[in-house]
Amino acid sequence: MVSLEEGVEKLKSYLGAGNILDVKFQPPRNCFILIRADKLRDAVSYMVNELDCKHLITISGVDLIKDNQFELIYHLNDGINTFSLRIRIPRDNPKMVSIVDIVPGAVFYEREVYELFGITFEGNPRKENFILSDGWPVDVFPLRKDWTIEKIRERLEEERRRGVKGI
Amino acid sequence: MPEKEVGTAFEVPIGPQHPALKEPILLLFKVDGDTIIDVWPRIHTHRGIEKATESRNYIQNIYLCERVCGICSFIHTLVYTQGVEKLLDIEAPPRAQYIRVIVSELERIHSHTLWLGVAAHELGFDTLFYYVWRDREVVMDLLELISGNRVNYAISTVGGVRRDISPEVADKIRKGLDIVEKRLNVYKGVVEKEPTLRERVVDVGKLSPQDAIALCAVGPTLRMTGVKRDVRADDPYQAYDEIPFNVVTYPTGDVLSQIIVRVGETYEAINIIRYALDHMPSGPIKVKVPWYIPPNEVISRGEAPRGELFYYLKSNGTEKPERVKIRTPTLANIPSVCKMLIGCHVADIPIIFAGIDPCLSCTGRFAFVDEKKNKSWIWSNEELRRYSLKWYGKA
Amino acid sequence: MGLIKWALTKSPWILHFNTGACNACDIEVLAALTPRYDVERFGILLKGSPRHADVMVVTGSVTRQIRDRLFRVYEQMPEPKFVMAVGTCATSGGVFQNCYHVYEGVDKVIPVDVYVPGCPPKPEAIIYGVVKLLEKLQKAKI
Repeated sequence: MVSLEEGVEKLKSYLGAGNILDVKFQPPRNCFILIRADKLRDAVSYMVNELDCKHLITISGVDLIKDNQFELIYHLNDGINTFSLRIRIPRDNPKMVSIVDIVPGAVFYEREVYELFGITFEGNPRKENFILSDGWPVDVFPLRKDWTIEKIRERLEEERRRGVKGI
Repeated sequence: MPEKEVGTAFEVPIGPQHPALKEPILLLFKVDGDTIIDVWPRIHTHRGIEKATESRNYIQNIYLCERVCGICSFIHTLVYTQGVEKLLDIEAPPRAQYIRVIVSELERIHSHTLWLGVAAHELGFDTLFYYVWRDREVVMDLLELISGNRVNYAISTVGGVRRDISPEVADKIRKGLDIVEKRLNVYKGVVEKEPTLRERVVDVGKLSPQDAIALCAVGPTLRMTGVKRDVRADDPYQAYDEIPFNVVTYPTGDVLSQIIVRVGETYEAINIIRYALDHMPSGPIKVKVPWYIPPNEVISRGEAPRGELFYYLKSNGTEKPERVKIRTPTLANIPSVCKMLIGCHVADIPIIFAGIDPCLSCTGRFAFVDEKKNKSWIWSNEELRRYSLKWYGKA
Repeated sequence: MGLIKWALTKSPWILHFNTGACNACDIEVLAALTPRYDVERFGILLKGSPRHADVMVVTGSVTRQIRDRLFRVYEQMPEPKFVMAVGTCATSGGVFQNCYHVYEGVDKVIPVDVYVPGCPPKPEAIIYGVVKLLEKLQKAKI
């Protein structure tokens, strides 16, 4: 087990200080680390194998519509401290690589983020809906800020009138 | 049971029904004869709560988050209000923290005894089910005495708690806990010594500690493999850093291990409540908080009866949150239960699935595909339970 | 009264269906069956299959995924059949008003005979709902 500060220093020296864009400590046992999106797999792999952060709590998605970006936060825990690695990806092309081969327990978290935000994870084996209904239209991502509840309901009513089942 | 050729689009509609807790989930099994080769889950309980939190203010969200799960409703409000307090950088007064710990542990007792009854029912041991649920009513009465409701207590609020525990109520809690402990000794004896029960649960649904960690299991499902991890001990919140208790683990990693861990945790919960009642500090139970919360983001964790509960909260300066992300413990345990089921008999499915104490409950429907024999069929929970009892020679 | 009506009012068999509830109403329905409240003394039995049930006890605000299955189970029940909606979510959607994946209430999908409001209703309230249903059964044309 390392302390929060030690963990952040070790990650900085592994990834290179230029790839760590921002660090915010939240005592006693949490910190948010903003890293470059293409370095995520290396960072997760290092934390799981070297820093013993084998427990992925979840993957949180946030819609930063004003900055035209999506934010993904991977919360990794080593039993005591939580390191929340966050990355930002463009909203017009939301794609990310999957970490299912490093952390097998991530498969449902990635699928949930896909169904609610529309961010595809390349390499995730799950292709059918896990939480949304069978007849749910493929282009409606409920947790995006531009899909308001009224807009979603109107769209589902249209689909219902067209005779789509499972809605 | 109705069977169909793989490839036709006809599905046999059988509704979820089961005398014990049900929330609808579909598990698709690939089987070879009587052995399971693969499992594919599909949940039916998505209600869109995270989106709904964005159009309600922080106080209204307490009542929404409470109803994410009815059995562990208090831990949801506790972790949520704890998170909002972190956003504001304040702490609830010490007396409020102790009251929150007491209600949280009472909820753990009610949840674990509920589970014990449900697991007994899945094994065909209905006598134990009815006895345990009768004794669970003692705890429900205590919760109603403290908060006014048997379920959904709404006692935790941003800044503290809404109701105090008077000395008379504290006395009644102590008496109630003595009764529960005495009855629990009887059930512990049954679980440890009854050979027909042990035959159904020893070496069934095994999970290794390496798999449990790799699949990110939480709670008793992780502790039953021998891994000592508990949010109350590792990342203490509320008054848990001042209250001594043991983290219960058991090394064998089968369903018997699950039972032993949960019964052990119930004893620990009783001791925690007694300690908290004896050492409760005096003082206010609430501090005043502002309506508008400055922009900030936090994470908040708690140990629900089923495992680690996680909230990520983001505020934007208004009275409504920007984002509330909830990760319930059962979602984290689904990959582990899928791993536990592979290689097992079909007849063991009810008890293995009930073993993780799913708050997506003991499932509504199971679909089976036998590729070698080229057939597939769907069973309801009741049909699977009857098959399981017949297989073990009890029906 | 006729034999069927007599059997129905003396011993209605129920089917419990959870349409995506938080489980609070379900544990109160189950608590109603356990020794303290003991609804079985009214002759009420919890059955496994919709083909055997007279009354369907529905909890939960209906999620979009479960809607078609709820309708199919209702169709499978033989006449005369009755539906009891337990809990505020089953009555009107409850706290899940304006959620995108929820129908607000069971009566948006199937006809309901008795509503038992509460979040969750206490087992005594559920028993009272059952008694109201039996009164309705007495007056029904069967």
